[in-house]
Amino acid sequence: MKLSKFPYLVQKEIFDNMKYSNLFLLWFVSKNMKTLIKSSQIMRFKSISRVMYQKLLFEEFYDRWKTNNMVTMEVYLGTEGFMMMRECHDESKNIYFQLNVFGKTINFRLSDQSKLPVAYFYPSDKETAVESIHNYFLDFFGDTVEYIWRAKHPDNFIPRLPNLSLSIDIWTDPSEITDIKSLEKFFDSSPVLKHLLIKLDTHEAISPESKFYQAESLRIIHQRPRTVRALLRHFKGRQATLHYCRCVISELIEFMNRWRSGEAFHKLEYLHIKILNGWQLNNVLNANGVKHIDATKKPPTHTVPKVCTSVRDNEPNTDPITSHTYVVRETDNRVASVSIQDLSFSFGVWKKTEEEFLRMVEAPN
Amino acid sequence: MSSTEQGTSSAAPAEPTTAPESAAAPEVPESFYYVHGKDKVVHKVSAGALQHSALIHGMISNLGYTEEQAKANPFPFENIDGDILQMVVDWCNQHKGKPTPPEDTNLPKQKEKLFDLVLAVNYLEIKELLTYCCKQVAMMVKGKSPEEIREIWMIPTDAEDEAAEKEAKKRAGKEAAGETAAAAGDAK
Repeated sequence: MKLSKFPYLVQKEIFDNMKYSNLFLLWFVSKNMKTLIKSSQIMRFKSISRVMYQKLLFEEFYDRWKTNNMVTMEVYLGTEGFMMMRECHDESKNIYFQLNVFGKTINFRLSDQSKLPVAYFYPSDKETAVESIHNYFLDFFGDTVEYIWRAKHPDNFIPRLPNLSLSIDIWTDPSEITDIKSLEKFFDSSPVLKHLLIKLDTHEAISPESKFYQAESLRIIHQRPRTVRALLRHFKGRQATLHYCRCVISELIEFMNRWRSGEAFHKLEYLHIKILNGWQLNNVLNANGVKHIDATKKPPTHTVPKVCTSVRDNEPNTDPITSHTYVVRETDNRVASVSIQDLSFSFGVWKKTEEEFLRMVEAPN
Repeated sequence: MSSTEQGTSSAAPAEPTTAPESAAAPEVPESFYYVHGKDKVVHKVSAGALQHSALIHGMISNLGYTEEQAKANPFPFENIDGDILQMVVDWCNQHKGKPTPPEDTNLPKQKEKLFDLVLAVNYLEIKELLTYCCKQVAMMVKGKSPEEIREIWMIPTDAEDEAAEKEAKKRAGKEAAGETAAAAGDAK
């Protein structure tokens, strides 16, 4: 069967029915195949928004040859596995075929379980191998796709490569005391922080200058008053969720005032704080500048796509906020819904002016 | 299955037997058309079954043939092998007036047969069957290394592609030179 004898539209239909992992291997068959894949799959590739490199939770499910100290990452496209990367110490057992990936020869074999291609390399070759594979993806999907490296600890291998941002879940043992200075050092040297989940049970606040506050999305567990206060003052990202925190009402009111005046939080889309000491929390809604929708009317519901989902939180959108209270930013007349419910403070910023927002309010039936 | 008539020419086909119809008799008598492939074996197919083929459907929609005229003028598909056309006709009959299922497991397993079927189905513009066939072709390389894919789909190496390109350029150059010489000869 000669593939080249098929008309272009038939070749395209065949490629349309191939999984990405198979297209990945076809890419290496010849230069002409690479050109054909690129031209025929352009629309399919455009529909991909994100490529994730992440360590598998259940490696043994994917490959029984896993050893305990292996680093295994997988690139996910939606829910589709693309390939795996693995450090090994004795390649000879695993060599199946070699591919020249962006100038570097890398050993591959196909996983017996998942049939995904698995790249094997020595630990000393890890950086160059990962760089070559990342360059390959940049060539394959282009630079409009978001590339995220997902790590679980600052000590994990985290490559610094163009167009590669970081999502990290720092889920330390409760008894482990977090060393703030080391964390600050880590954040300041890390790639762009796309998403950060951290259990931060410490009395010391992170320095206001730290890149920690620039994370696009933050999820923090166990915040103490000083760290909550610091975050409510210095956060520059888009979405933040704080669980089991202690904070005082005046800090929430100050946060709203600074947002309203346009002084800070320009990128903010969503803030949710689950508060432990929620005494008289409703007073937040009586602060100056908080507006109220007639109780008989139905307010619109705010929700936005999450910047990044994680294994512990794979809901695609932020929790909905349906509230009769809102504030308006003085600089651009944009609205934010404000809600107090079940000891939680929720703040959702609309891409709507007050006039547009009020048009979405439904009159009683 | 549609029945066939071996060895008759398209000009005067003998009586082919009719393809089995669905249990419920149609209220309006159904029109039939005749097709043959490279082997000249004529297949009688209902207009309903032929609707799967955009090419044939387009050809017959404005013909208004009588039964006799249709019989006397079978559509010749000389580029399609007889057994492949038989498969296509069978598929059209089996799926006449029915929604097509998401998978079709009755496609040929042999590479070359599948290859010929893809070309025929593409030519006849039978979209659903083409999709099934292409899925099956795609499945052939699932879990295969690049070298295995090359072998299955007979994909030339870069060196072979370059050599073929050079050869094509050389041939085109020669042809152009030949045409120029011929034109000069004509001018004289």
